[in-house]
Order: sequence, then structure tokens, then C-alpha cells
Amino acid sequence: MKVPLKWLKEFVSVDAPVEEIARRLTVAGLEVENIERVSASFSGVVVARVLEAAKHPNADRLSLCQVDAGPAGRFSVVCGAPNVRSGMTAALARVGAKLGAEPELQAAVIRGVRSEGMLCSERELGLSQDHHGILSLPDDAPLGAPLADYLGLDDVVLDIAILPNRGDALSILGVARDVAALFGVRLRTPRIRPLAVERHQGDGASSSFAVRIAAPEQCPRYAALKMTGVRVAPSPIWMRRRLELCGMRGLNNVVDATNYVMLETGQPLHAFDLDKIAASTIVVRHAGSDREFVTLDNVRRALESTDLVIADPEKPLAIAGVMGGLNSEVGLSTRTILLESAYFEPMTVAKTARRLGLRSEASYRFERGIDRAGQTTALMRVAELLKRHAEARPEGAVADFEPRPAPVREIALDLKRMGALLGVELSAADTKRRLVSLGASVKRAETRGVLSVTPPSWRSDLNEAADLAEEVARLSGLEEIPASLPPRLFAYAEPNREREFFKGTREVMLGAGFTEIDTIAFIAPADNEKFTGIGNGEPLRVQNPLSEELREMRRSLVPGLLAALSFNLNRQATAFHAFEIAKVFARVNSAVSERYHLGALSYGEYALAEIGKPGVKAGFFTMKGVAETYLGALGLAERVRFKAPTGEHQLNFLHPGRSALILLADEPAGYVGELHPREAMERGLEQQCTICEIDLDRLISYGLSPHAAIEAPPRFPAVRRDLALVLEREFPADLIVKTIREMAPSLLESVEVFDVYQGDAVAPGKKSVALALRYRAADRTLTDEEVNRTHAVLMEQARARLGAELRK
Amino acid sequence: MKEQLDEIRRRALDELADDASDEQIEAVRVRVLGRSGELTQVMRGMRDVPAAERPAIGQLVNQIKRELEERIEKLKQRLAEAALERSLAEARLDVTLPGARIPRGRIHPVTHIMERMLDIFVSMGFEVAMTRDVEDDFHNFEALNFPPDHPAREMQDTFLVGGGLLLRSHTSNGQIRVMEQRKPPLAVVCPGRCYRRDELSVRASPMFTQIEGFMVDRVGRITMAHLKGVLIEFLRAFFGPETGVRFRSSYFPFTEPSAEVDIHCLLCKGAGCRVCKHSGWTEILGCGMIHPNVLRAVKLDPEEYQGFAFGFGVERPALLRLGVDDMRLFFENDLRFLNQFPSLSGAAA
Ligand SMILES: [Zn+2]
Repeated sequence: MKVPLKWLKEFVSVDAPVEEIARRLTVAGLEVENIERVSASFSGVVVARVLEAAKHPNADRLSLCQVDAGPAGRFSVVCGAPNVRSGMTAALARVGAKLGAEPELQAAVIRGVRSEGMLCSERELGLSQDHHGILSLPDDAPLGAPLADYLGLDDVVLDIAILPNRGDALSILGVARDVAALFGVRLRTPRIRPLAVERHQGDGASSSFAVRIAAPEQCPRYAALKMTGVRVAPSPIWMRRRLELCGMRGLNNVVDATNYVMLETGQPLHAFDLDKIAASTIVVRHAGSDREFVTLDNVRRALESTDLVIADPEKPLAIAGVMGGLNSEVGLSTRTILLESAYFEPMTVAKTARRLGLRSEASYRFERGIDRAGQTTALMRVAELLKRHAEARPEGAVADFEPRPAPVREIALDLKRMGALLGVELSAADTKRRLVSLGASVKRAETRGVLSVTPPSWRSDLNEAADLAEEVARLSGLEEIPASLPPRLFAYAEPNREREFFKGTREVMLGAGFTEIDTIAFIAPADNEKFTGIGNGEPLRVQNPLSEELREMRRSLVPGLLAALSFNLNRQATAFHAFEIAKVFARVNSAVSERYHLGALSYGEYALAEIGKPGVKAGFFTMKGVAETYLGALGLAERVRFKAPTGEHQLNFLHPGRSALILLADEPAGYVGELHPREAMERGLEQQCTICEIDLDRLISYGLSPHAAIEAPPRFPAVRRDLALVLEREFPADLIVKTIREMAPSLLESVEVFDVYQGDAVAPGKKSVALALRYRAADRTLTDEEVNRTHAVLMEQARARLGAELRK
Repeated sequence: MKEQLDEIRRRALDELADDASDEQIEAVRVRVLGRSGELTQVMRGMRDVPAAERPAIGQLVNQIKRELEERIEKLKQRLAEAALERSLAEARLDVTLPGARIPRGRIHPVTHIMERMLDIFVSMGFEVAMTRDVEDDFHNFEALNFPPDHPAREMQDTFLVGGGLLLRSHTSNGQIRVMEQRKPPLAVVCPGRCYRRDELSVRASPMFTQIEGFMVDRVGRITMAHLKGVLIEFLRAFFGPETGVRFRSSYFPFTEPSAEVDIHCLLCKGAGCRVCKHSGWTEILGCGMIHPNVLRAVKLDPEEYQGFAFGFGVERPALLRLGVDDMRLFFENDLRFLNQFPSLSGAAA
């Protein structure tokens, strides 16, 4: 809301500097976002009277004028305007004047006659685009006065962000009310000569038009006035100037007057050309079967049956509270108008305006709630302006239809309760004074310590005691509320499970050399298609995405990691090891699943060796090592298995031979693998790109570092025996270990693979796997014989069970 | 015989000079002390010695044996010492070269700053609760006193995902989710991701981080004065003890009274500059006393309970704190930016 200070000061006189006004409004909730100083785009222009306009001796189309600029002197000026005439009051640019960006005005000789200045058009003064003739000023304008002063062009405009609950402050008068309350000064509302009012509870007809309200729920009040003899013309400069400062454009005296009153009082008004209304009858109804309507801006709008329209018996004339129609527009030929001043329910207007994407100054105000009782006053104010500036005369009385009177709002304000809410005690007198300054009426209720408050009609947002408490606190700028610390509600707050889990996860990943990244959860459908993650379900689609590229919610963290990789490679990075802990989303049947994932990507040199020795490149086994370290840190090593992907859990974006599913309790909980070479090639990746993704929600359910019962270290030494088995190359190492473990003679403590050999010494297609077995007894030192006996049995069993050969 | 022994001893000691080499020492050891060495030969000749002299000769042999062994041991040690000295000089490294390592990763600044904020609240007695990103209209709007078609909804342009679900536009859904589950007294902060239809730009992002906090207890126990107290303490803990704080009346559907909180512009310290549009203040969070309708929505009687709530974005204060001014830095993940942040989660933000 733009508020020109001069206009504001017509209603409230404050001497405080504009910065102080802005500061107080800001802390009171009317945030002044900008203070703009405006001035005329000219200087050296004064009010002057044309004493005589004679024909130029040497040119038919020019006049030679004698001009009186009062104390500034008399001048002889050549003028080419068709409307210049003796006796008119005009704007004289004197020698030395500056008009816009033009060079300083010089005295000139025009067709042999000296001209000591120039009579200006509105366009030359930067007031409008009008250049048909020179500006004509009222006859009472003081001669010689600087035009900028006379027109009040130098001003300060406050740009105020109006909060959605403060519909009442969407007007100069509304802001003036808060200024008056904040500075403790009196509000001067505009004095209006009253017109006769005819009240109707239901439908009715005045002498010259009829109104029928078929939707009183949406339109509880509708006031109208007929005016005749209208002469449509441009409105006066000062009015246009104010509209312009408030961000509106002047159109004609009728429309401008309705807009002016809307800006002044907050009540939107509409003028219909009454001659275009069938049977002079207004019907306020739902659109029903009317499907479309052409609004004033010449756009065909689709209507829905629940939209509220203003119609005549034949056709809609306006979309209520949103915009009028082309079919009843006021134009140059209009002679008779019907002025509308109504109250429409905020939700009705909001819904229609939003659907149509049509935000007018009127709908903006209706949506936020206008003064529930301001309709007839605003109508009289417009009538007054039209009488003065458009030669219009009211015909008949103001017709005021109110099928649904405003409910009486009376709020009990318990002072003690208010004190308990705000944390500060305020006296009844103080509280009352503040509420009254806002326009409320306040009396003592029957209960002691309780005030009975009726909020003013323009504050539809005040409905319960808490609302009034806010008003009381607001007027002191919240400053009188002391700051104090609350009682501690709990001695100890239980740490949050997820947060602690993420902290631990982050700690491991940072230590493993991975940098945390943060990526946006929206991705392109193609990425979701390719990087399916591990969960089930369909991608979650956004119905109103910012773009096609951000159409879906990710189901894997990999696209984000890959994007970050590319971003950094494009900026000369050669290695990139990153992780992210974030949610992934999917639609599973009718529900939406959101799960925390850990995603990690490793590219380029991973472990840096000393100078002169080769480092370790990121690859399947470095990433698997990270995953193992992490799962081990969580105490899950024993529950986890890595398995080459098969069947239903195929991961097409990974290298088929260099990827593994991470199984937790035999269910997939993640994967680790090298990016598929095809995908890597498409992305121009020159080195191995390895990724890992783990469903953290699965892990969280096991808790942080669950551990078995703790045992003291063994007292007796272990004995190691090795075993080398020759088997098929595809035979997975972990299955060998698992098989031997399952045989588990009581003395076997551990089994570990320590070498794998494929080469000339074994048959083609075979490999030799070397295992270290440790034997130990808890109660004695084992003898060689005992170990040898046990190991021999185990070797033979393993050979037979695995179908392997023993390698000597 | 004694003369013979003296001769063996003298010769051996002569040969075991200070500068004797490893080979020389070994030669002496084998010749004199070896299994068939000179001393063994002497012992073998004992049978020709009169019985009365034998003990004295035996003693002498043992004495010479010990003496030579000690001498040899000493020389060997000296040689080993010298060899070590030589190898130490040869094995000298350029200790200024870098070490072999896996460079530790860095914490993302948003995480880092959010964790710091949460730590402050936890130390003030708040619990942390995580809630859903995909929400229904009830928990994101209706229960928070946003009626359908209410203009306040447009302060938050929301992403819809169908089936009546949306991406939460604020973490205020946490209030509702927690209070549906648990009765007051409650002191909870809900961190999380929020989504609004803003293009990624210097100022905004379609996804961002918020922390919602609230405290509820019986009427009169938790007041607006406490709200001011908690937030001032928090802001001073985070931005520094001298930070100027201002409360300004505002509007949120879910609080009444509502306020916005400004801190002194970190650049000009309140004097006014271009960044703060010459106001001297920077808007940092929104807060207020929980609206009676919100309490009603979670089936608490506003005559019985009251409390405060606050909410703020993490990225903006993070930018202020870091002294950079482009939101996109957080989501581009440029290593040259990220590598400036700490590697330890405990490091002060
Ligand atoms: Zn500043």
C-alpha cells in the first residue's frame, strides 16, 4: 500500500519526522518497506493568467499572449495551443525553467516576435500524455505561485507492506487511524454532506432501479446510487496525481473518483452505465449456468457456477468484487450511472480471483476484509466528487440493501488472563484507552476485571481475547513486555534418535574422506527413471512444478551427487568424494513414503600416498570399504551381507559385474557399485565413479551401535592353520567363509580370506582361495596334535561340501 | 702352561683392538673361543698338569674366556652403534613433504549451522523432533488456522503432489504432529526441509531448511515475556552477546499476538546501510503466542493451556553469519566453497 504523506496528513496531524512515523508504524505491524521522496519533473513553472490572447502577426496558427504571473511579473509569450484563450489560468514556464530532461528554456524569437516563456501542456509538465492543448487551471489558483507547490507535487510516499489480516489498513484513512492511535492524536475523517438513505432488508426497488440479492450469504450488503447528467472527462490533475502516487492510472473522472474513494476509505466501488442495464435491475447471484464473461480488460473469463456475479435480468454485468464487464462500462457517451458499494464475503472473492488469476485492487481489498459498515459513507463520498468534477446529480436516495446484518461482536477481555498471556499486567484504564483509540467501544463487564469490547466495524480480524491482547501490545510496540526466561519444563530432554544417528553417520563419512553436500529434492523424471534407488513405488510427481526439470521428487540421492560431481569437474576438480543425508520420496500404492538415505559418490584419487608412490584410486573396493566401516561402526557388520545383484533387484545404472546389494537381515538396504560404463561415458567421466546408497530408516531401527554382551580378551593363544581351495572363478568368497563357519568345530574361532589367485598355477576358469583359520580353546593352550586333527577333518569336509580341490 | 695361557690372552687382546673389524673379531672368537679353539686345546692338555695345579689353571682359563667374551661383546656393540649412526644419516627424510592420508571431508555449512542452533535450544531444555515433509492440508494449513482460500495461504506458494497432499511450506506442521501425540508440558524444536514455489536465486530456493520451536504448558506458565526471553538468548548465543534484537508486531494465522524479530544488521551494526535498506535491522524470524484455534485443532482447551511458537529459516541466518549473500552457494556444492568449512562437527559455527 502506497501512502502519500500529504494525503495522510489530511486525516491526522503529526509533526514527527517521516522516519519516526515509519519506525512506529513498522514496529506496530505496518511495515514501511520504503520511503520515497517524489517531486515534480519540472522547475521554474508558475501559475499565470492569460490577459489577452491575440493572433500572432506573422502566423495563423500561433497566438501572442500577454500573461500575468502576479508578483513574478508580466510576460509576452507565443503559444501554439488551440485552447488558449483570454482569461484562462495556465502554467507558465519562465525563461530558465527546466521541463523534464529538456535543456533550460531560453527566450526565443518566433516568427519575428519575442517570446518570454512558454505555456505548457500536461505532457510537457510530465503530468500525463495529454498534448491536445495547454493545461487549464482553476481560476482561483494564486498567480505567480510555483506550480509544483500549487499542485502539491512534492511529496513523500510510504510503501507499507500490509499484513493479510489488516484489510482495514488498505486505505489512507486506515493507515491514518493507526498513526492517530500510535501518536495519541485525533483522527479527522473527511466531512461528507449526507444524502438521504433508503434502507431495505430484503429485495427492493428505489424510484429508478431495483436490486435483488439472491445470494445474501456471499453479499450481505449492497448499496447503490443513481446519478444523472454525467459528463465523462479527464479528472482533475491533483486527483490523477494521487492515484498515480498510489500506483493506479487515471482513466476518466467517473472511474477515477471511484478509485480515489477506494484508496481513501478502503471501500471498492464500481460505476455501471445504467443505460446498459436491462430493466434497470441489479441481481446479485451465483453465475449458475453462465459459462463465460468478458471483463473490462477485454478478456473472456470462464465462470464457475459458484462464482458470484452482479447481473441484470438478462446477463452478468460484473464478477462481484473482482472486475466489471465490458458490457456495462462507463465511456465517453455515458450519461447515467449506477454506483455500487457492496460488501462481499472475503472467501468468495478470494476463490474466484485466485482461480481466474485476476488480482484487482478491489478483489485485493475484499479478500482481506473491508469495513463491514462503510458502504453508504463511501457512496456519498463518491457522489460528492462526481458532483464537483463530473457535473453528476444524484437521483433519488442512496438505496441500502442489507439482507444479512453484521453479527454483533462483543468480546470479553479478562485483564488477568491477558496479563498471563503477555507476561505483563496492564491496567483497565490503559487497556481501555488503547482499544478506544483504535475505534473500539469498551465498557466494564459484570464480572470484575473483565472488559466488554466491541471492535470497530472495520476490524474484522478482532474476534477473540487474544486478538485484543495483540492490539494492546501492538500499540506499545511490544516494548513493555519484559524478556524473561521460562521455567524449565524438563530437567533432561531425551536426545533425538534420528539426529544422533545422522551425527554418527556424518562423523564416519567425514573421517572416510567424504564431504557433505546438499542438493535440491526436485529432479527430472528421466533421472528418476534411471536412478531407481532401492525402494519400491512410483516417483512422486509434483502437480505444479517450477519446471519440467524439477517435475518429480527424487527417489535416490544419486542424481544430485552426479550433478554435484559434474559441477565440480567443470571447475577443474580432479577428485570428488561426497555424501548426502537426505530424504527420498516415492508413492507406494496410495501412500507416500519418505525415507532418509545416505548417498555417497567417490571419483578420482581417494587415498593420497607419499610423494613418489601411487595413491589409491576410488573404485568398488574403496567404496565397499567405506560401507563396511560405516556398518561396522554401527555394530551391524554381522547382520550385513554384500551380494551381486540378481533378479528383481537389478540395478541397471551400475556396472553389472562391479556392484553389490547390501542385504540387512537378507533384505536389500542399499547398494554399492561402480557407475555403469555407458552412463559414465555419456557423462564424460574419465575415471571410475563409484556410488553407494543406504536406506537409513532401515538402519535407524537397529539403533546406534547395538552391541552383543562384552567379553574379556581370551587368556590362551590361538593357533593358525591355512587352507587353500581351488574352485570355480564365480564362486563367491563369502559363501566359502559362511560354509566353513557353519561346519564350526568348537575350536574354530575365525575364518578369513587372505588371498585369491587366478593364473597359470590353477586350471582355466578356476581360482585358488587362501583362508586363514584360527583355532583356540577358552580353557587351555591347544597342542599341535589337537589342532592338526581338527584341521584335517575340517579341510576334508570343506573340500567335499564346496566341491573344491585342496591346493597343496 | 700358565705362560702359554698368558701368550694366548695377550695375542687375542692385541688383535681385538679398538678398530678391529667384524671379520677380525669373528676370526679371533673362532680361533680362541671356538669349539676346537686354543682355550679348548689348553683344557684338553690338563691331564698332563699336576693335579695340584689343575684348579688354578682351570680358573685362569675361565677368567681369560670371560675377559675375551666381554671384550668381543663390547666391540660388537660399538660396531653396531657406528652402523646405526651411519644408517640414520642415510635415512634422513624431507619432512616438509606432505603425508600420506585420506583427506577428511567437510560438513555442509547448513548442517553445521543448524546443528549449532539445535545445540543452543537443546541446552535450553528443548527436545528435537523430526516430522514429515509430505503433508496433508490439515497439518500444514488448516490446523494452523489457515482456512481454505485464506489470503494468508498465499504468503506460502505451495507445491502439490496430489491426493490432497503437499510439500510442507513450513516446519510448523511439527507443532501439530507433536501435540497430536503428546500432552503438554512440551518444549520442542522441529528442524526440517520446507518447500515453496520460488525459483533458485540469490535470495530464495524452492527447498530450504527451517526450525520450528514451541513451548506449551498450563495458562500463565509460558508467557510472551518468556518468548522474548528465549529468542533473545538464542539470538545472542548464535550471533554474539552484543546483538541488538527488536520485536515488531506482525501477523501469522497460527499465533496471536504475532511478532517478527529483527536483529541489528550485522554489516552496519544498526547504523543503517545499503544491505538493510538503511533501516539498521535484518528480519530473522517470526513468532507469537500459539493461536487458540491451533490448540483447539489438537484438542487442547485454550482456557487451560497456552504457549509460544517461533519459526525461522536456517539458510538466511547462515548467509548472514558467514558473510556471503548468495543462497545458491549452498546447493551448488562447489568444493572450493565447501572446503572452507570445518571437518569436525564440534567446531564452533
Ligand atoms: Zn545495515
